[in-house]
Amino acid sequence: MSNLAELVRAALAPDAETAIAMARADELRKLALTSGVDVVGIAPVERWDEFVPPGSRPYDILPGAKSVVVVGVRGPSAGAWQSPDHRLIEMNGYDFANDRVIHLVADHIEQEYGYQAIQAPGLPVGGHQPAFSMMLAAVLAGLGTRSFAANIILNPQYGLLYYSACLTTLTLPVDPMLEQDVCPAPMCVQVYKAGGRTPCQAACPSDDGGCLHGTIGPDNRIESTYYDRERCVSRAMNFGINSFQKALEQIANEDDDERRRMMIHSDFFTRSASAIAFYKESVAQCFECMRVCPIGRAERKLK
Amino acid sequence: MSAADLDLMEAHKRELGELAKKAGALVSGVADANAFTAAMEGQRPGELLPGCKTVFVLGGAQPRAGDWASPSYRHMETTSTSDRVTAMGNRIAQHIERRFGYYAVTIPPGVDRARRPFLNIALAAELAGCGSPSLAGPVLHPQFGFMYYTAVLTTLPLPVDAPLSTPACPAPECVSMWDELGTTPCMATCPIDDGGCLGGKLEGGRVKERRYDVARCTTRVQTSFIPGFQKALEAVFDEPEKEKRKMILYSSQFTRTLWSMSYSNVSQGQCFECMRVCPVGSTQRNLL
Repeated sequence: MSNLAELVRAALAPDAETAIAMARADELRKLALTSGVDVVGIAPVERWDEFVPPGSRPYDILPGAKSVVVVGVRGPSAGAWQSPDHRLIEMNGYDFANDRVIHLVADHIEQEYGYQAIQAPGLPVGGHQPAFSMMLAAVLAGLGTRSFAANIILNPQYGLLYYSACLTTLTLPVDPMLEQDVCPAPMCVQVYKAGGRTPCQAACPSDDGGCLHGTIGPDNRIESTYYDRERCVSRAMNFGINSFQKALEQIANEDDDERRRMMIHSDFFTRSASAIAFYKESVAQCFECMRVCPIGRAERKLK
Repeated sequence: MSAADLDLMEAHKRELGELAKKAGALVSGVADANAFTAAMEGQRPGELLPGCKTVFVLGGAQPRAGDWASPSYRHMETTSTSDRVTAMGNRIAQHIERRFGYYAVTIPPGVDRARRPFLNIALAAELAGCGSPSLAGPVLHPQFGFMYYTAVLTTLPLPVDAPLSTPACPAPECVSMWDELGTTPCMATCPIDDGGCLGGKLEGGRVKERRYDVARCTTRVQTSFIPGFQKALEAVFDEPEKEKRKMILYSSQFTRTLWSMSYSNVSQGQCFECMRVCPVGSTQRNLL
């Protein structure tokens, strides 16, 4: 941004500054939506203070950060949800469109407005905890709320979305957080009252080899949730880094040369290696709790 | 289907074709979902997407003329992949669903159980008139030659295209070479009877017989990919000597194999020699 532009901005009345900020927010929304994402939300960094420890707040990652722009994109196509071959949805579930678009947003902020902007780090760098929770970011930006189904953040219109976030020193007008929980849907409350489980809990019950459990309170809101993450990982990532590591351990521990050779060239190990190689097409391999979720189902019903 | 519906579907097809070109595709075509009679069970469009009517095929993301001109054969190994064309397919699928309201799903480029593809994309390209099978293996387009293809299954009843009436392979130059020498450029560069992968016969200017050693080809095309990794891993575990094992793990070959796996989008194929000598589409590769 030129010095002249800064001077002009400084001379502007507060109302005019607000107008500029609103225009920028609109511009960023339009850029993101026309670039392929389905939803955009903006949160002030202060909203994180209540929920995360020091070190994980936006301004710990980008000093001076004022706003967080969050984008969400649908994963599997409606056609992929229809396929009886579950492997197809596993491979087609996700194409990182949200990451591509968040880079466009960050570029736009830096190049057009002259403020710092970075893609928030979404992958674990130590242990299995991500440096910055995209789920929390989506909630705080008013794009969704937590669900019974593995705590997945459900958007009221689309249901399951994949999120990315941009941290910036630019102050932007923010969106309100959702006042009403997306989960449980009214239909799920009815199902729960009749059978003691929501559709997702019935699809994957933790007391019967599955991953999910929870209760709905008298106010028809989530009262408690239970999510067996380890069990879910072993299903959702059958062929990925986890299975590769497990298989490698078994291979290393196998003393019989012939058996070891068989394990290395097995279909299972080949697919595990393939899932790592084609990681973009094989991030998750279980969508069953989402398949039965009524939120966003209308978006998946086509001709 | 009424005349108005037909017009609408023609318009949808045109719109998708234009979008495909805008996204970078060289060719596009539509195959009838019921025409996959030669496909294996489980690999037919209707088995992957219930109610599938058509298969929209896109071709493109071919190596550029500059890629072919590079004297470093390793350059093309790390830049030519199916990734770009698959991204185009995703764009088409999204457009079909969100603009026309019909189901659509892109066929992933990887393999399913037992290293089988989800759908025979080469067959889809052939049925959609985007090219024809060649002696060398890849589907060749008469004008552009070798390229990558992707297929989008959809319930949208688009007007279908017919397979090419004249196959792109063998090219007239190859027929002349066969008549004179009993071989073609691709077979001469990788002869199956002399350690290579390709063999066959021409008769009446058409391919009469084709021989292809897929296992041998894999060891060349995917030297540094998953099969190479498995082979190296086997060598590591079979090696009793600690120092030697360390050498294998830190070797250039093993390092490169890991790179090509984790960055699969930049290293899927590592041999283009049969395509390098192919005259089909060669004019596209000759630039200033």
